[in-house]
Amino acid sequence: MWAIAQVEFKKKIQDKGLWFWTFILPVIFIVGFVAIFSGQEGVEYTEIVTQIIPGYTVMFTFFIMISIVIAFVKDRENGMVARVASTPLPIKHFFMGKWIPFMILVLLQIAVLLLFGVLVYDLPLGDPAALIIISLMQAFIATSWGMAMAVLVKTENMGIALTQVIAMGGALLGGLWMPVEIMPDLLQKISRFVPQYWGLEGYKEIILNDGTIIDIWQHTLILFACGAAGILIALLGYKRYLKQSRS
Amino acid sequence: MIKIDHVSKTYDAAQALTDINLEIAEGTCFGLVGPNGAGKSTLMKILAGIILDFDGDMFFNGHGVSNERMFIKKQIGYIPQDICLEETLTARDNLLLFGHLYGLSGKKLHERIEAVLEQIGLTNRSKDVVLSFSGGMKRRLNIGCALLHEPAVIIMDEPTVGIDPQSRNSIFTIIKQLKAAGSTIIYSSHYMEEVEQLCDSVGLIDKGRVVEGGQMQELLERHGKPSLFISGDAIGPKSLEPLTAMKKGDGYLVNSEDPMATLEQLIASLRSQDIKPKRLELYYPRLEDIFFTLTGTQLRDV
Repeated sequence: MWAIAQVEFKKKIQDKGLWFWTFILPVIFIVGFVAIFSGQEGVEYTEIVTQIIPGYTVMFTFFIMISIVIAFVKDRENGMVARVASTPLPIKHFFMGKWIPFMILVLLQIAVLLLFGVLVYDLPLGDPAALIIISLMQAFIATSWGMAMAVLVKTENMGIALTQVIAMGGALLGGLWMPVEIMPDLLQKISRFVPQYWGLEGYKEIILNDGTIIDIWQHTLILFACGAAGILIALLGYKRYLKQSRS
Repeated sequence: MIKIDHVSKTYDAAQALTDINLEIAEGTCFGLVGPNGAGKSTLMKILAGIILDFDGDMFFNGHGVSNERMFIKKQIGYIPQDICLEETLTARDNLLLFGHLYGLSGKKLHERIEAVLEQIGLTNRSKDVVLSFSGGMKRRLNIGCALLHEPAVIIMDEPTVGIDPQSRNSIFTIIKQLKAAGSTIIYSSHYMEEVEQLCDSVGLIDKGRVVEGGQMQELLERHGKPSLFISGDAIGPKSLEPLTAMKKGDGYLVNSEDPMATLEQLIASLRSQDIKPKRLELYYPRLEDIFFTLTGTQLRDV
């Protein structure tokens, strides 16, 4: 399992596109949007950075789904899955070995973006334990949904298109681009069914209200449940993925 | 001994393999021969434990695939038809990966990597990324990845497809070394000459069925009665009458139970017609001819 994880991680380090999507583009978005909204009258600077930095952090975690889909589709098409299946490695270890690097990468992404917020915009971080828990859940949901999509889609393009829908649609409805409070009532209700909303609200609770693990239990539970659903779908779809890869 | 026992496989409605029964002796090289789409790769994948949903069973030295899959996988090195490597990584990284997958680690793994690099002739390129390799080098590395754990059985699915003659010879050398070391090799190909050159026994497969099999020499002798090959400007079915001739290449094959007597008869007939052939020789059928006789299909038809 660790051999697979190590190789996957090495490949990710070599992937310049992934570095751009994961770290550079979110930083550009954060810098750009903080600059745009900082000039607005009647809006506090703290409000802006605590909305934009965690908001874009949550949004960009979902872009890992593209990399996961590409990795799985490639492995299926170039016969790597079939070849690994001929070795004594239990196939669940292959699945875990592929997943772990993406989980680490998303956690690293969250850490870098929040640290950028701290260093550049004096973003307060709040309780570290709560921050770690909500970040773990955020990484869990983004990667598990990515794994689910990776085993279900037939082509890379299909995966990329669906990722855009989930990442952008979720960002819009979940209040990542603008505070939920200024959205129409109906959209405010809908936003509660979007995991991005619970991710952002969790971060805001910790950063703005000095929330602890107890204060974010609901957010954590919802994110965990959505992530678990993703893993369940991934495990159910994995059999079909393997069958396609083996024949 | 490897025993393939009544193995059948269907893909949705399509029957890929039908009641395959084969026995492969330990330490021999077995050739699985058939045109593209005959079912060779499907059988190879079943042997390698990749395809799991099939009817029938297989036994490796008495161990059944259905019950002792993991044990058997440790004894097998599978070399797929497609090159399956991590191309952005180095040759050594690829070998490390597969070594770990086969359960090797530490000093033993590093020793085996050095030995395999030497065996496949890539010691000097071990730190280069696979992307920079030629097709032949990739093929050799593809083979090397399956040899790290010193498997007793090596399954090679068309390992020489799409490579230059030099790389092909290099792969043949590796296979001969493996044979000499006592490995059992299962080698699939649609290149008859390769199979004739490398294998001790053979199975001819067409449309998912084994149409003939056995020791290479026995098979050639059983089906390989010599005939006469004749070619030349004025040579045709009419000039060869009353003998029956079959077109082959730029000439004709004349089948006969007694080729020497037929040769005399043919020479006399040609003299009387004042025809001088360009070539007239005894022709010993090759595997390709036997396959054609049995199936009516040329190996490269499909």
